[in-house]
Amino acid sequence: MRGLLRHPAAIFALALLALLVAAAASAGLVERALGIDAETLDLAAQLAGPSAAHPLGTDEVGRDLLLRLLRGGQVSLAVGLVTALVAAAVGTVVGLAAGYFGGAADALLMRLTDGVIALPLLPLLIILGAVDPAKVGLPPELFHSELASLGRIVVIIALVGWTTVARLVRAATLTVKVQDFVRAAEALGARPLHVMTVHILPNVVSPMIVAATLSIGNIILLESALSFLGLGVQPPMPSWGNMLSSALDQMYTAPALAVWPGVLIFLTVLSFNLLGDGLQDTLDPRGGER
Amino acid sequence: MRQCRRFVLGLLLLICLALPGAARAQHDQLVIGISQFPSTFNPLIDTMAARDYILGLARRPFTVYDKDWQLVCMLCTRLPTLGNRMAIPETLPGGRIGVAITYTIQPGATWGDGVPVTTDDVLFTWQVGRHPQSGVANGELFRRILSVEAKDARTFTLHFDRLTFDYNAINDFQILPVHLERAAFAEPAEYRNKSLYETDTTNPGLYFGPYKITKVVRGQYVVLERNPTWWGRKPAFAKIVVKAIETTPALEANLLAGGIDMIAGELGMTVDGALAFERRNRPEWTVIYKPGLSYDHITVNMDNPALADRRVRQALLYGLDRKSMVQQIFQGKQEVANSLVNPLDWCADPKVKTYPFDPVKAGRLLDAAGWSLGADGQRRNAKGEKLSVELMTTAGMRNREVMELVCQQAWKRLGIDVTLRNQPARTFFGETVLKHAFPSLALFAWMSSPENVPRLTLYSDMVPTKENNFAGENVGGYKNPQMDRLIDAIEVQLDRDKRRDLWYRLQELYAEDLPDLPLTFRADPFILPKWLQGVEPTGHQYPTTLWVENWRVGE
Amino acid sequence: MARHLIHRLIQAALVMLVMSFLVYGLIGLMPGDPVELMAAGSPTMTPADVARLKALYGLDQPLGLRYWHWLTAALSGNLGFSRLSALPVIDTLGPPLANTAALMISSLAAAALAALPAGAVAALRHRRPLDHALNLAAFAAISLPVFWLGLVLIIIFAVDLAWLPASGVETVGGGGLVDRLRHLALPVAALALASFGHYMRYMRAAMIGTLRQDWIRTARAKGLSWAQVVLRHALRNAMIPVVTILALDLGTLFSGVLVTETVFAYPGMGKLIYDAVMGNDYNLALAGLMLATGLTLFGSLLADLLYGVLDPRIHFR
Repeated sequence: MRGLLRHPAAIFALALLALLVAAAASAGLVERALGIDAETLDLAAQLAGPSAAHPLGTDEVGRDLLLRLLRGGQVSLAVGLVTALVAAAVGTVVGLAAGYFGGAADALLMRLTDGVIALPLLPLLIILGAVDPAKVGLPPELFHSELASLGRIVVIIALVGWTTVARLVRAATLTVKVQDFVRAAEALGARPLHVMTVHILPNVVSPMIVAATLSIGNIILLESALSFLGLGVQPPMPSWGNMLSSALDQMYTAPALAVWPGVLIFLTVLSFNLLGDGLQDTLDPRGGER
Repeated sequence: MRQCRRFVLGLLLLICLALPGAARAQHDQLVIGISQFPSTFNPLIDTMAARDYILGLARRPFTVYDKDWQLVCMLCTRLPTLGNRMAIPETLPGGRIGVAITYTIQPGATWGDGVPVTTDDVLFTWQVGRHPQSGVANGELFRRILSVEAKDARTFTLHFDRLTFDYNAINDFQILPVHLERAAFAEPAEYRNKSLYETDTTNPGLYFGPYKITKVVRGQYVVLERNPTWWGRKPAFAKIVVKAIETTPALEANLLAGGIDMIAGELGMTVDGALAFERRNRPEWTVIYKPGLSYDHITVNMDNPALADRRVRQALLYGLDRKSMVQQIFQGKQEVANSLVNPLDWCADPKVKTYPFDPVKAGRLLDAAGWSLGADGQRRNAKGEKLSVELMTTAGMRNREVMELVCQQAWKRLGIDVTLRNQPARTFFGETVLKHAFPSLALFAWMSSPENVPRLTLYSDMVPTKENNFAGENVGGYKNPQMDRLIDAIEVQLDRDKRRDLWYRLQELYAEDLPDLPLTFRADPFILPKWLQGVEPTGHQYPTTLWVENWRVGE
Repeated sequence: MARHLIHRLIQAALVMLVMSFLVYGLIGLMPGDPVELMAAGSPTMTPADVARLKALYGLDQPLGLRYWHWLTAALSGNLGFSRLSALPVIDTLGPPLANTAALMISSLAAAALAALPAGAVAALRHRRPLDHALNLAAFAAISLPVFWLGLVLIIIFAVDLAWLPASGVETVGGGGLVDRLRHLALPVAALALASFGHYMRYMRAAMIGTLRQDWIRTARAKGLSWAQVVLRHALRNAMIPVVTILALDLGTLFSGVLVTETVFAYPGMGKLIYDAVMGNDYNLALAGLMLATGLTLFGSLLADLLYGVLDPRIHFR
């Protein structure tokens, strides 16, 4: 981690991310300080300018813009992080298995990965976003909660987003598994699962972290694009993506509504990318400079 | 940023003024922006507002409702009525009363290729319309016509299997040119794909209105030019272009950049889009808001035990400040609805029961219904169950989402637990609303039409169920024999005064029973250039383009 | 080589088959049908009409059977009629495909023309201020939400400045090549900016990698000037992985245009596929998605072949 200090951009990105996360986490506190919450609407104060009561003004139904941005930040960051984690976990399992077992398993899993990579991503996400879960036999009650629309996005993005991690982990596994300490463990009769989790996993964690970090930005962008097409996080729950798309109608009269979430998405994605870049340089010197 | 913008605009204005006359267009062409491109051009297949808007320029129905919501003749010469003896009741073999109605086609009516419009076309159209495989959307009208009798080349009699108050309205009888379309109908199941309206859309023989379609670029625009065979007044523009631009911002940008001259109200901006546009203060355009037929309301699921109690439904309505809600969301461009009948309709009851905002009364009604307020601000019944409702609507329709939020906030103050759940339009209508599958409340709109009898939406045998394969649109499951009797009576009451009384009684019952919570009738914003005159919004589903020959270039 | 090619083609066919099945099934899992929306929007359509139309469109048959019918017809070259436009699918695909191709090729070209020199320069100035600045610019370009960028571009260039048209492909009635280029300018700019970031990063990385190679030092030791080494040898070698990436990007770009096309109301493949999926137009959606998948597969095949042709060892044997 000390190596990261040589990357001022990554340090800056980390600081910015810390700030954004802290701000999003403090949404509750700010709500209490202002005496309103992000859901309270006030139709008499639509599109109001900044004031003491509303530091950034209000949106088209008189909700406080600052609070919406903070709550939206919670949602967007959570979607980005959770999806990246899920995707990384799937990718790691696939990559480890393919790399370690080799042979037919490897061929099968890698063909699957190739196949998923060959799929046209966005159209597929759109279809997946519109599929009715009840028709595949899932209980409809599961989809009544407000969290359901979040879960759906996490699942569908993760479903197609695990391939990069899988490839990297597989490549790393291939180099690690022929090393002496792995051979030794195997000779001592360790089971494959044990070898994979105890001996190989710690050595392939670097590319995994780098790929996951770099993917968070992409996921946040994807979520905003899906929200733009009406298939993302469903209002009234705010996310930066759906705030942006609902601000489009007001683009000419209240550009601030579109500017703020746009800028925040931009800064967050930029930060994750810069951080990922810095991490790559530090953790993975051979593959670095990519 | 704003300063810079203003400076640039000022500069542009100066340049425009400096070029004498150059910026002043001649207005021999009109470019209309609409929000959707029609998927089909055949007037009978599917139903689609974009197609009807464009075909309004190029074809005319026999009968239609005019801007005062009166039935008038367009392709026929004189409206047949019982009074003028052109409609004559007749007894059918089974003892039922039907009616024989005689129409005469406009003498000058000629297809764009010079072939006159004749009763042969009428006969052919009827055959297409009643064929189960032809893909016609409104098959009901054609199935009600038992036979067509051609008196001569221009006069024909339709024999209907029933006599209803709107017996002489054949608005959906969209005539087809038999000389061009017969070959395409050889295989009825293929007709919807083989019709010349799809394969040869620019064939002049398909149109007989003031304009004919001369160019179609799919997904983008349609060019129409004056049709020399048109019998009526010569329209002002040599050419009309209808451009499809799907997003509100793009529509607005195109208007400002001069890509389009006007935005149609039927298929254009939302009210808030138009309000935002007005805030930009552009003197070159006028914005007209016309109340339309989209009836925004909340349908109540009558099978929900809590909501089955009429007092709870009334309390919900009393507890909602609809006046300020509508006022503030739509900036006074829309009014609160009090019943399902549009106030523009002649049969609207001016004295129907209203529900002014009265939270105290709402609270009393809830108390009376057994839902008492607990210390935690939550209403519970004797069994300790929470009074909770789930409000659903279409995702992505901003105005509905806002109304939904206002409802939630208002009802929470009454002590009702309100959760929101929104679905994309397809899911919401296809799976949830039309299958009677929403647990308590669904906010959406019905499209209505002038003097539209609510048989489909309120009659007790129109409740969609699995047994009847989800046929019917009484999606709330409202069942009231009194309502059924009123609907039956209205349909066959030919006397206008007596029918008005029945309509008033129906509206009173509706307002008392509240199978739906009425919200508002949606307004359509027409954005027109100042120099364009004579565009008269109708407020119903028949578009302004049906009167395009009255559009003029003014000052 | 030939064996490899055949192997890849078989694999591609398999992916296409699985994809078609997947897409057909997924559309089948989408709730509701536009016929029902139509009924909700029409006061005259009766439940009988709805049932009749659904049967007419074959929606009452089981999904598997419908897929089988589609597959056998499609394999014999009959893609059927589009439900959205009542035209044969083949005729429906043409114009949007041409529009999207124009958009993709120009943005690819614009991005590559700007990114490759920028990436090379950044690599030559590795870890110096210019490199940092270019690197940051590339990351910034990657991190912008495309549709937001598109709207900002519309506001600035189409509305405020009124220099360029806000949407569409051409002025109504056709305005010639210049007119089409003017309509392309904003969507291409929006798309190219994001690609620019990616390509510049790839080029920079490839160039840095190349400059580190031993043979570069050898070439220098043999007395070649630095400029000669860079221009003749390093650049050429660095281009190889980058060209590969460009080919691989074909598919990504294809789905990426969807959002851009929506913002600019640009009638291309992305919008076509979106509308087809939303309108339950199985025939059209499948044809469009198959085309997209095919393009992606073609891109990766092309990348493979290019890599073989441009192999670095060829130059220094």
